[in-house]
Amino acid sequence: MDILTNLLSILFLPLGTSLLIIALGKYRKQYSSIVAFLSSLAALGLSYILLKNMSGSVHYSWEWLAFGDSKFYIGLLLDNIGATMLAMVSIVALCIVSFSTGYMSEDAAKGRFFAGVAFFMFSMTGIILADNLIMIFLFWELVGFSSYLLIGHYFQKEEAKSASKKAFIVNRVGDFGFLIGIILTYWQFGTTDLELLSIKANLDPSLINSFVGFLLICGFIGKSAQFPLHVWLPDAMAGPTPVSALIHAATMVAAGIYLLIRVEFILTSEVLTYIAYSGAFVALFAGFCAFAQDDIKRILAYSTLSQLGYMAAIFGMGYSGIALFHLITHAFFKALLFLGAGAVIHACHHEQSIFKMGGLFKKMPITAITFIIGTLALCGVYGFSGFYSKDAILIAANDYNTTLFYFLVLGALMTAGYMGRLIWIVFFGKANSEAASSAQEVKVVMTVPLIVLSVFAVFVGLNAYWPFGLGASIVSDLDHLHHLSNYKDIHKWVLILGSSAWVIGLGFSLIFYGRGSSDDRLQVKSPKIHAFLKDRLWIDEIYQFYVNNIQKPITEFLSFADEVILRGIIVRGGAGLVGIFGVGFRLLQVGKLNNYVLWFFVGLLLFWLYGIDLF
Amino acid sequence: MTIGINEFIIVSSLLFLVGLFGVIFRRNTIIIYMSIELMLNAINLALVAFSRYNNAMDGAIFVFFIMTVAAAEVAVGLAIIVMLYRQKQTVLVNELNQLKG
Repeated sequence: MDILTNLLSILFLPLGTSLLIIALGKYRKQYSSIVAFLSSLAALGLSYILLKNMSGSVHYSWEWLAFGDSKFYIGLLLDNIGATMLAMVSIVALCIVSFSTGYMSEDAAKGRFFAGVAFFMFSMTGIILADNLIMIFLFWELVGFSSYLLIGHYFQKEEAKSASKKAFIVNRVGDFGFLIGIILTYWQFGTTDLELLSIKANLDPSLINSFVGFLLICGFIGKSAQFPLHVWLPDAMAGPTPVSALIHAATMVAAGIYLLIRVEFILTSEVLTYIAYSGAFVALFAGFCAFAQDDIKRILAYSTLSQLGYMAAIFGMGYSGIALFHLITHAFFKALLFLGAGAVIHACHHEQSIFKMGGLFKKMPITAITFIIGTLALCGVYGFSGFYSKDAILIAANDYNTTLFYFLVLGALMTAGYMGRLIWIVFFGKANSEAASSAQEVKVVMTVPLIVLSVFAVFVGLNAYWPFGLGASIVSDLDHLHHLSNYKDIHKWVLILGSSAWVIGLGFSLIFYGRGSSDDRLQVKSPKIHAFLKDRLWIDEIYQFYVNNIQKPITEFLSFADEVILRGIIVRGGAGLVGIFGVGFRLLQVGKLNNYVLWFFVGLLLFWLYGIDLF
Repeated sequence: MTIGINEFIIVSSLLFLVGLFGVIFRRNTIIIYMSIELMLNAINLALVAFSRYNNAMDGAIFVFFIMTVAAAEVAVGLAIIVMLYRQKQTVLVNELNQLKG
């Protein structure tokens, strides 16, 4: 198989799968999960073959549209960064689809779910393989659409319905800026092709400007749920848990970071600084918010926000390779954590509040152990994958700016704190509800993906051993860090701070919350702090206020202008005027041939009189 | 009394007016049709008279065209009237008022 066929088959296999599942009709319930599973397996196989045969990067481009002299192209670009993403997405997707076959086995709308997941995979692969910004935007919207579809899977529930709409609309806000950014990029550079853009930006750095850069990163802010458009991600947890794992933890939200890495060369230092500070802010802010949540998935959602903040921060410091590194390690351990949460929820008959769980370690040991491995990786415990990427981030931050460094260290402490709270309450102590006490270990199709992902969560941080030379940019960025002048001192300092962060976080949460408690001690002991954290800086309320008090009057005025002035006066008025003329002229149509002839001759007479200059 | 151009013009004008009033006042389609023919022939008469008066053949040749067109018109028009009668069972124009506004 040559490389082009291979690329195209990787891109279109999921789309075909999605259509096939829809075409199954009444057999959907029976076969959709096995079809989806086989397709993900085949996708992983195809990616393996591709990466094995490929060396360097490939770029194919075809003309798509031509408007006069402006030509638009579609094409496929697979370089080292894309290949790394592709490998991660294929592996994570296979694990998650396999888990879903168990998790969704009793769902009535399985076909819709698996078709949606397959369609999402098509769109996500499209983003990874796209060679220009316009094509990225197309697939960007398609992932947004599939995310909407899957968040609203349980559309009978009001919560899921409004969450899916919220995710879609909030993303529109970001994508609007992104689209304008793409148009301005085209205007400025005359192309949106990523390779050509990098060449042109290198040749003539004066073409780059901050305004376009800020517009372009709007797409990232929306999709990666960065401040201030982060509000949709916690609500998106209303979707099925495997969807949260696949879309809202491992792949789609990381696509924002991937976009940043793709367009790095046209971002100015102001844009990068902004990304760094906003990322560090989100990393800490989301950590605080997670303490006030009692829904297991929402805690993980805030954790995802916080980790995306880390990626954004390190990207803003200029280390895109390390951002990619953290993206990959995070994808594995966060997918693991979400699937673990899914297994817990499944075992507890769809109970999601952590205070109604408790004591699950003995009842579901495999889930508990893999979940704890994921937590240790997330907290950056020495030897787990999260350690390697977080360590690199902290070293770079220390070198870049001390404020950012302490923000991020504090964020790591928060991470360990809320994850410790989750672990101690859910898995230890005694069961706090009927559902939790009758919980049993989940089926093999669900535990195997957990085990596979936990192996990755432990070892994926050893990037020197990645096959096919994946992650070349990671190696070069790490090398750069290793050659910092006082690397040894910084490393020691970071190691001490990082390790004490997770030790203190986990330990303090054990002391404060206790094992398997049935109520939130923070809420009991200090309701004010809890309420403050639960309000999440009132961002949702500010948006609510904006929509109700600012946007609504404007839309009402526009609606008035539309209904009264446009529709009433101009359209209806114009039609009415013509109608009145019509009524008058109708009177002339008497329906008598003789009269018409008479008028004809009268008219002729008038012409004649005019002709002889009578008037 | 010699018959000059004026007499021809008077006769043809009278013929034309007879035809015109026939079209205006009669209700039977066939009569209206005959009146139209009358008007055409009034024009023919005038054209021939002017042609003779000017010693030029233009007007006379034009008459041939008018006669040809009139013959064709009769063929088509009578067919239309026959079809009209078959459909509506009438040829009176005051009963054919479907286009009344």
